Amino acid sequence: MRKALEEKIQHLKNEILLLGSMVEQAMRDAVDALKRRDVDAARRIYAADRDINNKRYAIEQETLITIATQQPMAQDLRVLASILEIAGELERMGDYAKGIAKINIMLGDQPLIKPLIDIPRMMELATSMLRRALTAFVEGDVETALAIPAEDDEVDALYNQVYRELVTYMIQDPRTIDQANYLMWAAHNLERMADRVTNICERTLFVVTGELREFDDTDAEATSDRPASQA
Amino acid sequence: MTETPAVELRNLNVYYGSFHAVRDVTLAFPKNKVTAIIGPSGCGKSTVLRAINRMNDLIPNARIEGEVIFEGKNIYDPDVDPVEVRRRIGMVFQKPNPFPKSIYENVAWGVRINGFRGTKRELDDIVEEALRAAALWDEVKDKLHQNALALSGGQQQRLCIARAIAVKPEIILMDEPASALDPIATLRIEDLMRDLVQNYTIIVVTHNMQQAARVSDYTAFFSTDESRTGFLVEFGPTAQIFTNPKDPRTEAYITGRFG
Amino acid sequence: MSVRPRFDPNRAARHRRARIGMVVFQLATLVGIVVLMALLYNIINNAFGLAAIEYRIYPATLGLDLETLPQTPRERLLEILETHLSPGLRRSLERTRPLTQRSNEELAALVLERVLQPKVLDTWPLVPSLLHTQDIVAEVHARFPQAEVRWVRWLNTRFLTRPQSSDPLRAGVRTAILGSLWLVAITAATALPLGVAAAIYLEEYARKDRWYNRLIQVNINNLAGVPSIIYGILGLAIFVRALEPLTSGAVFGAVAEGVTANGRTVLSGGLTLGLLVLPIVIINAQEALRAVPNSLREAAYALGATKWQVVWHHVLPEALPGIMTGTILALSRALGETAPLVVVGASTFITFDPVHPFSKFTALPIQIYQWTARPQPVFRNLAAAASLTLLLLLFLSNGIAVYIRHRARQRRLV
Repeated sequence: MRKALEEKIQHLKNEILLLGSMVEQAMRDAVDALKRRDVDAARRIYAADRDINNKRYAIEQETLITIATQQPMAQDLRVLASILEIAGELERMGDYAKGIAKINIMLGDQPLIKPLIDIPRMMELATSMLRRALTAFVEGDVETALAIPAEDDEVDALYNQVYRELVTYMIQDPRTIDQANYLMWAAHNLERMADRVTNICERTLFVVTGELREFDDTDAEATSDRPASQA
Repeated sequence: MTETPAVELRNLNVYYGSFHAVRDVTLAFPKNKVTAIIGPSGCGKSTVLRAINRMNDLIPNARIEGEVIFEGKNIYDPDVDPVEVRRRIGMVFQKPNPFPKSIYENVAWGVRINGFRGTKRELDDIVEEALRAAALWDEVKDKLHQNALALSGGQQQRLCIARAIAVKPEIILMDEPASALDPIATLRIEDLMRDLVQNYTIIVVTHNMQQAARVSDYTAFFSTDESRTGFLVEFGPTAQIFTNPKDPRTEAYITGRFG
Repeated sequence: MSVRPRFDPNRAARHRRARIGMVVFQLATLVGIVVLMALLYNIINNAFGLAAIEYRIYPATLGLDLETLPQTPRERLLEILETHLSPGLRRSLERTRPLTQRSNEELAALVLERVLQPKVLDTWPLVPSLLHTQDIVAEVHARFPQAEVRWVRWLNTRFLTRPQSSDPLRAGVRTAILGSLWLVAITAATALPLGVAAAIYLEEYARKDRWYNRLIQVNINNLAGVPSIIYGILGLAIFVRALEPLTSGAVFGAVAEGVTANGRTVLSGGLTLGLLVLPIVIINAQEALRAVPNSLREAAYALGATKWQVVWHHVLPEALPGIMTGTILALSRALGETAPLVVVGASTFITFDPVHPFSKFTALPIQIYQWTARPQPVFRNLAAAASLTLLLLLFLSNGIAVYIRHRARQRRLV
């Protein structure tokens, strides 16, 4: 029964996975380019954000059509509503990648004040969380979804470490303040990305149980809620 | 819609006596798609549907103007046999109306009267194939020779669909096929329509907008003017009609603000 | 202190009106039932009762028991015939067929007819017979000292299997029953196919917006209300007079010269009744065809069926139970018709069975009519017995109609 609706939902979940991997790839490329100080690559990444945005609009459109034509109820409705939400989250994550690319462009031909170590680690952690969170969402795997937010602490710890390290640089040599600030901004984007993964996990719980709740009250959100890709 | 339509209405007008029931409908139904016809009561949905396989001929003093082009031929040309038209454009009705005969006979009868000259075994195969296509075979295979009226409403309607597809029509017209059924049976019929559309062109009249949204690829919205004459307001892909209709009357209707 | 009803202050008045209405309807029903009971009472009252019977020789004096007459030893029957028949009569009987070759039943009948010669002097209906048995016996003894008082069941197997006779104790309705059955058979054979065909034309083919079809319809409806005597006159003019060569069987050479019924045959009667019930059959069949849901026709048409296939494969079979019940009820009416048969010329007194369509005939209602016209009181009893027979036949045919309807309904539900 309701084959048409099920096919639609399946297709939308696949689209979400696709969008997720686009975002993941963008973030990976952005951090990688920053590490290598490859401004050309950063420009490409900056431009490619349009694809992510378009994909998000396509998913939104299709979800709305599905809701309009298939009249989903209960879990079906929660899945589709969550897909709308998650597509938005992913698009924001894409913007974080774009923001990092933009920092790379703004740094111009400056060499890095230090080799990047913790920021790529943050990227690895955040993209891994994203990948698993989306898989858990698509599969309705609440257990995994509940476990992932804890990893956010690790990202937060790395962020604090990067923060302290960069502050030390700034105190030692005020000429580094500009670049250190930019790098802090990049780290902050990654930290925010991990926070948004937590939101995806919340949606998984919502789809399966209908329960809407914030996962982690000690979330860093309260302390670091600044727009990510302002420029 | 670049491919050739399955059937095309050109300036179709239908009159019942002096009553102008449907005005100037020009509409091409795409092949191998489900097209839904929706609209408020009395907008001539069923009239248009029945004009496509000349069922209106059975109503005394019904009169048709305009053309219905099927395979390059106007089916209202004087040299066209309405019996042949109805064989190639089947119909399923609002209320399940199986013949008061066995399940087997219900399917086999149409095949036989259309000049079937094969063996009993071949006929058995045709019956089985039609019942399978109508997703009914598993439920009735052990009671093919029981009276069809003993089936549930939903099963009866699927039997009527099996009966219609057994004669291998190109187009299946459905006149509110699920309006007499419960919601579960309705969804079954809708799934069946999605399956059948691989091989057939389906035109379905429904007063249930949600159903039209669920099953159809294209939607035609009809309305009536002040003299109660029905006419076509808008035709387009279902996704567009239900999310972004071009005509304000369509928008008013699908949002439940009119009709 | 009375409490005013809160929602409907007129409730009491409304209830009173409803009660009055109900009483009126119940009374109407009651009147119908009373009339029907009175009719049945009258018939049954006359079909059974006491009778004063006189014999030329009383059975008791010969040591015979009337109830078991055919079981009497053969020798005894022969001996009685030997001693009590006049030699001339005996000789003539022997010439027809020797007595010794006749069966016990035949011998017993001869004894009854020629020797005992019972004669009914008077009869009493069932109710007085039961209530005033002693008075009746006393009265019989006073009026007819010779007579014997006996219980008589006027409707018995002998009555059903014997032909008409002027002797009330030997008269039966076999000829009349057979005549009626022949009539009904001929009526059915003509009215059913014609009526169904006409009904199919009017319902399935005729366009109702054409004036001539409406005219036909109106005429059929009116014909159903024409008095039956008019049909009798029509039958007389057409079948008895104009088509005499046909209805007398002359053109078929079926009847020997001299015994022809001159067109006043069972065929003429049957055809006349056929005309009489034709409009009813048509209307009933139309009703049955109209009751076939249109969705069934549409279902068949939508599969590419022709009109003929739709009517022949679906509409007619579906309407058939309705047509049959309607027809049977119409035939029941034919079974009870008297007037047209009188006009067409049913014989009132024939003693031989109708054996082919060109026979002279009588029918049950004719027989009843004829008996009620006789002055002797005993024929009233015969008329009552025949009426009961007719009622039973009608009951049977209506029962068949009900059965067909019931079975058709069950078939739909299975």
